[in-house]
Amino acid sequence: MNARKSLTAVVLVVALGVGYTSMSTAPVLRDDAYSYHGDTKWHTDYERAATIADEQNRPMLVYFWTTWCTYCEDYDENVYSDPTVRDRLDEFVLVAVNLDNDGSRTSELVNRYDANYPPQLVATHPNGTRLVKINGYVERDRFLSHLDRAERRMDR
Amino acid sequence: MTTLGTLLLGAGTLLAAVATTLLGVGYARRDDRFDALVPRVVAGAAGLLVVSLVYLTYQFVVTDYSNAYVWQNSADYLPLLYRVTGVYASNAGSLLLWATLAAVVAAWAIWQRGPGDAEGRLVGALTMGVVAYFGTVLVLDSPFRHVSTAVSGGVPTTGSGLNPLLIDPYMAIHPPLMFAAYALLTMPFAIGAAHFVGLARRDDGLFAAWRGAVTRWLRAAWLLLTTALALGALWSYTVLGWGGIWAWDPVETAILVPWLFLTATLHAVVNYRPRDRYALLAPAMTASTFALVLYTTTVVRSGVFRSVHSFADNGAGLGIVVLVGLVALLGVGLPLGYWLVREDDHEGSGGEWVTRSTLLHGAVLALGLLAFVSLWGLTFPVLRDLATGIEVEVTARYYNRWSYPFVLVTLLLLGFYMDFDVEGKRRALVGLGVFGAATVVAALYAPTTTWQLGGADQQATGLYAVVGQVSALSVFPPVAYVVLAVLKRGLTRIPGAPRQTKLKQTGIVFVHIGVALLVFSLAFTYLFTGQASVIVEGNSETGERVDVPDSPYSVQALSFGSYSVPENPDVDRVALSTRDINRRGTATNGTTQTVHGTVTDIRRGPSATVYQLDDSGVWLGVTAANGTTTTQFARGDEVVARGAVLWDYVPQAAVVVLTSPGNVGPVSDPPASLGLTRVAGQTVDLAVYEDGQQVTVGRAAQKRYPRQGGMQTREVIVDRGLVSDTYVIAAIQGDTASLTVKRIPLMTPLRLSVAALLFGMLLVFLFDPAHGVWTRLRSPSLETDPATSD
Repeated sequence: MNARKSLTAVVLVVALGVGYTSMSTAPVLRDDAYSYHGDTKWHTDYERAATIADEQNRPMLVYFWTTWCTYCEDYDENVYSDPTVRDRLDEFVLVAVNLDNDGSRTSELVNRYDANYPPQLVATHPNGTRLVKINGYVERDRFLSHLDRAERRMDR
Repeated sequence: MTTLGTLLLGAGTLLAAVATTLLGVGYARRDDRFDALVPRVVAGAAGLLVVSLVYLTYQFVVTDYSNAYVWQNSADYLPLLYRVTGVYASNAGSLLLWATLAAVVAAWAIWQRGPGDAEGRLVGALTMGVVAYFGTVLVLDSPFRHVSTAVSGGVPTTGSGLNPLLIDPYMAIHPPLMFAAYALLTMPFAIGAAHFVGLARRDDGLFAAWRGAVTRWLRAAWLLLTTALALGALWSYTVLGWGGIWAWDPVETAILVPWLFLTATLHAVVNYRPRDRYALLAPAMTASTFALVLYTTTVVRSGVFRSVHSFADNGAGLGIVVLVGLVALLGVGLPLGYWLVREDDHEGSGGEWVTRSTLLHGAVLALGLLAFVSLWGLTFPVLRDLATGIEVEVTARYYNRWSYPFVLVTLLLLGFYMDFDVEGKRRALVGLGVFGAATVVAALYAPTTTWQLGGADQQATGLYAVVGQVSALSVFPPVAYVVLAVLKRGLTRIPGAPRQTKLKQTGIVFVHIGVALLVFSLAFTYLFTGQASVIVEGNSETGERVDVPDSPYSVQALSFGSYSVPENPDVDRVALSTRDINRRGTATNGTTQTVHGTVTDIRRGPSATVYQLDDSGVWLGVTAANGTTTTQFARGDEVVARGAVLWDYVPQAAVVVLTSPGNVGPVSDPPASLGLTRVAGQTVDLAVYEDGQQVTVGRAAQKRYPRQGGMQTREVIVDRGLVSDTYVIAAIQGDTASLTVKRIPLMTPLRLSVAALLFGMLLVFLFDPAHGVWTRLRSPSLETDPATSD
């Protein structure tokens, strides 16, 4: 095998290495039951989350996101990984809706909450009534104040 | 309902199919019977597609909402430019643009060469086959569908509007350039594929004879694609990324893949020698660029990716993985295996490692590897999701960190190749050793943590962590190496050469220095962008100057303002009159419409007030909020409302338009909820100071599109400086603005590097002595001389 062919073989091995390593070390975003954002864990099954919210009488927080949305990454890095935010989020039943997973359920939720672009968050009463909607990205403190408002409305 | 546009499309597609068949039969039977007819059929197909595109553009210009696609992607408040660009705002329109351009390219090629010999017919059959395929897809999903297929109640009075992100001059030019590049790539695809068909039929294939044409098509596509990428990046800089020109989102990455692969292909094609160098690889790469373009288009338009997802939900995921594997094996593995074991690859067969051809091969492979990094980043999350049901995250980190070492290696290789050409092997190897060592040393030295590529990224492991620790200083030695070697080589090759060669060599110098500077400025622009935020408040007088914390900036709000578009919405145009309602009849039953009229009678009830409009059978039913009627109109008031049209709702009225108090108001001051305002803008005029010196005065704006889910865009202030750009983004609420001031370094070298790259490409494209456009027109005899290529 001449130099050019050997070089090609080497590069192919490198490419396979890149392929395998990157695929096996990529951070998991979603498994069968949950979607992971920052250090938080969100339900992916809306019905199941709604049942839990109903049983425990806790507000729901529905997060509309996509893998390509850079502001969703900002949420992961600056908001969801924050310990204070995490504690507050524990008070909600969390559901993440990936807008690119084009199931009929997704489009129904998109229509119901008028949330056709990422990121958007909607806090709801377990009965489905909308409490607060956050369009786009907001900083940590404003995010927390939105959660406060949602809980106040929930208590009313 | 079949529309005129769909008929035109159908006729064009039919002619394209006829041309494909005639050319195919002519090729298979080696028969020139149809040769006189073919150019006319092809011209007819191209002509009909052009007419379709012009007709669609016309429908957009006059906002003909009887066309569903126009209604979905335009609105009459938009300026003419964006009514025109709405044509390619969505799938069907952009495919029509692509198909039309491909048909024009095919027609031009056939017009130029004539169907010619058998191979020419096959190339023609393949290009027209692509056009016919696109045409069929378009007929099935037509951009000319009647609006009744999308909404009921007759032709809407207003359009849904254009995606606000596309309302930008860069976005007006970017897509047509990109689709023109894609269309140009149809020819190289056809030539490459026809070459392999020829090989399979045991003749020599046509690549050697068509090499000049392939080079010109590829270079033209490369030039357009690079321009499109640059414009897209500029668009991102001001509209999407707010100061970022590249964010590795799938759309950007998807376009980078064919660009990188095309660059690699060009390097292979210009070094192609029949029966010797790249005899297989060059045609194979030429043929596959188009497939990559198709793949990336599906990523951009994402429809296929979505359907892949739903496929996985049906439990058929593994099938797709197997299919992808098979296609890759047949399309890539087979030719590669054939090439690896084939024996007649003469040059370098003595095992010599450092030769010009090995180095060039290295360049092709390095570019291919970079393309692979991007392609894989797009693809593996989908594959993994399909195979395991687990979704993984691919962020900028993946792309940046895998690409960075390969880019450095590519630059070192480029420097070495250029140096090798001038200095010979021994001295060039010393140079490589010096600059290679300097790169390693520089990679280990970071003056501050900001210089480290990974910054404060704690979570990284493995190679991500290693590259994250590397200092950005490491980019200096390879860039310097390339610049020095390219200049040195240019200086030895340009003086004394014939004019054509001079111009081509100058072009090559510009292209490679442009690339080196681009890499350099990109790395530092990203690492050293600094930003700080502050809130400014206005009052009746000019606001005070406020220091922006942790930055050398201070800002002063000069004035706040707001505006809406259209300023005084013409209710007559956007709302139906009572006559319109009656004319449309029961087709409007159950639909939501905006109506207007003069109150001629009033009936009040416990839960609603009902107003008769224009003495007609149309009544407006306004429900009471919380048991109280808040809306009070008198006879003679002109009102406008948005509500559900209900025919035969009550016996006393032909039609009741049922609405709530928030959705009804006087024509002179319609409520905001009617959506007559398409853009609600808030502005702040600012003076920006750096170290006490005024840098700029400008207006930042925040625009909200109520009819598009409340989507927002911003107009930013950009002050372009020699060393850095100052960039202000504002979120405005009343008389308060939350400002982010960014300092973005090295944008000037970045712009210059892109300009150098494009200028160099243009020189090579036009003046290459062997395959240039200008040269060919003047001296076709040079066509077959391969000795002067680079």
